[in-house]
Amino acid sequence: MSDRLLEVRDLATTFATAGGPLPAVGGVSFDLNQNETLGIVGESGSGKTVLSRTIMGLQPRTNVTVSGSARLNGFEVVGASEEAKRGIWGTEVAMVFQDPMTSLNPVMRIGKQIDEVLRVRLGMDKAAAKARAIELLELVGIPSPVERYRAYPGQLSGGMRQRVVIAIALACSPKLLMADEPTTGLDVTIQAQILNLLDRLKSQLQMSVILVTHDLGVVATRTSRIIVMYAGRVVETGSTRDVFQNHRMPYTRALLESSPKVASHSHTRLQAIPGRPPNLMKLTAGCAFAPRCAYATERCHRERPELTAAEGPGHAFACWNPLPTTRGAS
Amino acid sequence: MSDQLEELTLINRPEKSRPLGLLFWICVGWVGLNIFGAIFANLLPLPDPLFQNYSAINVGPGIHHLLGTDDLGRDIFSRIVFGSRVSLAVGAGAMLIGFGLGAPLGMLAAYRRGRFDAIFTTFMYVLLAFPAIIATIAVLSFWTPRALVKIIVVIGLASVPLVYRVIRTATMGIATKDYVVAARIQGATDTRILFKELLPNVAPIGVSFLLIGIATVITLEGALAFLGLSVNPPTPSWGNMINESRTVLAQNPWLVIFPSLALCLFLLCLNFIGDRLRSHFDVTEVKL
Amino acid sequence: MARYLIRRVVMLVGIVFVISVGAFYLIHLLPGDPAVVILGTGDSPQNRAILFKELGLNKPIWDQYFIWMRNILHGNLGTSFISQTSVAGTIRAALPIDLELIVLSQILAFATAIPAAMRSARKPDGPLDRVLGATSFTLLSIPPFIIIVLLVLFIAIKLQIPHTGPSSYVSFSSDWIGNLESLALPAFTLAIASFVVYYRVLRSDLIATLQEEFITLARSKGLSSRRIMWRHAFRPSSVALLGTAGVNIGGLLASGFVVQYLLAIPGLGYTLISAIAQSDYLLVQGIVLVVSVGVIVINFLFDFIINLVDPRISRE
Repeated sequence: MSDRLLEVRDLATTFATAGGPLPAVGGVSFDLNQNETLGIVGESGSGKTVLSRTIMGLQPRTNVTVSGSARLNGFEVVGASEEAKRGIWGTEVAMVFQDPMTSLNPVMRIGKQIDEVLRVRLGMDKAAAKARAIELLELVGIPSPVERYRAYPGQLSGGMRQRVVIAIALACSPKLLMADEPTTGLDVTIQAQILNLLDRLKSQLQMSVILVTHDLGVVATRTSRIIVMYAGRVVETGSTRDVFQNHRMPYTRALLESSPKVASHSHTRLQAIPGRPPNLMKLTAGCAFAPRCAYATERCHRERPELTAAEGPGHAFACWNPLPTTRGAS
Repeated sequence: MSDQLEELTLINRPEKSRPLGLLFWICVGWVGLNIFGAIFANLLPLPDPLFQNYSAINVGPGIHHLLGTDDLGRDIFSRIVFGSRVSLAVGAGAMLIGFGLGAPLGMLAAYRRGRFDAIFTTFMYVLLAFPAIIATIAVLSFWTPRALVKIIVVIGLASVPLVYRVIRTATMGIATKDYVVAARIQGATDTRILFKELLPNVAPIGVSFLLIGIATVITLEGALAFLGLSVNPPTPSWGNMINESRTVLAQNPWLVIFPSLALCLFLLCLNFIGDRLRSHFDVTEVKL
Repeated sequence: MARYLIRRVVMLVGIVFVISVGAFYLIHLLPGDPAVVILGTGDSPQNRAILFKELGLNKPIWDQYFIWMRNILHGNLGTSFISQTSVAGTIRAALPIDLELIVLSQILAFATAIPAAMRSARKPDGPLDRVLGATSFTLLSIPPFIIIVLLVLFIAIKLQIPHTGPSSYVSFSSDWIGNLESLALPAFTLAIASFVVYYRVLRSDLIATLQEEFITLARSKGLSSRRIMWRHAFRPSSVALLGTAGVNIGGLLASGFVVQYLLAIPGLGYTLISAIAQSDYLLVQGIVLVVSVGVIVINFLFDFIINLVDPRISRE
């Protein structure tokens, strides 16, 4: 194998709903190398969560159609049976979920929830699994892990629970860690701790990470590349530096201007993005962002722009009226 | 769940409430027919339900006797029609008592909260812990001689705590809604809020529970009659008829099949109507 | 946990007190002189003297209650003047039959309702779910007393299966296979009534639980569907199931009365109805008291078990 871990080609996810098909994700392609950290950024409803779940094959089991290809370390996820996918879940790819308040089983001791993976997936015996679970709790920075092993999720704070979720994800040493808004449900003061923990674990355990977030501040220093999503599609992608400084898509700029951490040093006022994210069931033939875009022309409403290459390596954007290449805004 | 999926569940929920459907109206028709039969049984061209025709004992269904006769030569069809009176009277009467006492108390408790609510709710929960059917059997076995009115009163009183709980839970869900709070802040009178804001919203829940409550109460009366603790023979009632058929099961199975069918069909229709109304009004989680 | 338990015990004692007052007062619902009615066919000067002494009938009503209560706490529920036997002894002989019936029916009900609900919840609105939904809804409208009569009609009378008809009860100590045969139809009848309730409650709870994020997390661990269903979905949902089972006990006992009455199985129900027919009021009063307190205590135990299963409840 080369050092390419994940190849995504033209991936699309459509939900069947009572009101007709809902295209949640469409036409997404990208690659991810080993030990690389990729950021997927977008507003809520932009399809980033659905995308991250589709990549690992974790979409709901009914009323969903997935097309395209997602090849993880040689394993084709799209179209694979649930049973086949179980073979890669945990060991090849694992996920840190958004809300630690709901993602842990409330009636199972946290130790058991970690043990379970070790015993079922790695075939460890009871004593070995317990020892390893306590090690994992220690690794993710939970104080007095031996006592915490017997705690129920309800007895832990949100930050501690998220650490447990991370410990579960790491249990079988996955090659790819999906972190879906891992800090959204947490207090601001805890957010940085969890992100730094993920950073540390990534280099310690030699993993690739996909960091999904709505907050550009989160990905600014932690990723090497970024994908910006809007209405289920990639609208701009490139190195983190290019996306922050040489972005061409007006939506990317709007996101940057609405992000407090990036804007704060220049003392400008935060700009909310006008309008609301589009209803995915009522998309027009044109650019989905056009109704909210200050630069939109008649063509934008009529015809959807495809991704076009820009100057930087791997930098591409989907816009008919891109911003000038000179230094970006803000 | 992610925002995207949350949005999905919103879309998944049909925007209009489910249509009631043909089966619903068939059930309404059947219940209506039963009520009509019970009220006008005297005027209908039916044989006397008490008349014992010894020359036609245990006759099967046929022209002279639509559903046959029982072991005393009485017409089964006529007895079923007249027997529905007991079931309907108990259903309507007991629920009148149950709702008459339970519903206003439940609404008031949920609206007032505080000490009033605390006292009544504790009291009702103590009563609820007491198995209603055993209490009913106990009281009816001592409070002799048994009569329809006593049965209605006992079952009705036994249903009060349940009605109280359902209505109180439903009202609480609505009383905390923004528009009720807003009306309160704007100084609307209590009576106004209770009648204009709460009652119209609690009523659909109440109605669907009422139908299921009637079905429950009729079942209870049937069981009491089966045990010989309801109205005294020879007065026909569905439960009495099933009880009387016990001794002649082998000779005349029709005697148990027809009243059973009448009772089950009636209960099925009531339950179906109640269930449909509940999903129609989109009453999600009211524990019954 | 301790505080929760103490609060529940105080409540339990309160409810039992209310029940005892109610059961005590039943005698005074009787029309006319209670002594005449209670003594019934056993009315003689000697018996009358015994009754007055036992119940303190010439004393104020509160003293009567305390005398009655003190007797009960000593395990003395009085002596029936109609059958000349001790009420407590009669109850002790009948009670095991009710317990056996309930245990048998609950084993049947849980063994069928749990897998059925799991299959339904796996594919809500699928063909199996629709069939089971319609079936359970129909069964919901068929009272146990009709189910048992129809079962007896077809199985005991038409098919002539031995030990299933009326008055063919075989005691456990004399022939345990015959005993099981004679309790098969009653247990099945009670099981149907319980099945319908358990299936519906567990199904809707499982469907809700399976939507939870922690189920997706369990999936992402690479666990089998079976394991997810039992270990992750069923355990939180079983709280609702246990709660329902606890509440269901009262109705179950009452349905037990009905089937015993039809088949002349000498459990509490049959004894109770016979006692009512013979105006044996002390026996009726004793059975009502024992059954009511039993139901309350069983409810309390279920609450306690639920607490052990779900650590969320006692913490709030």
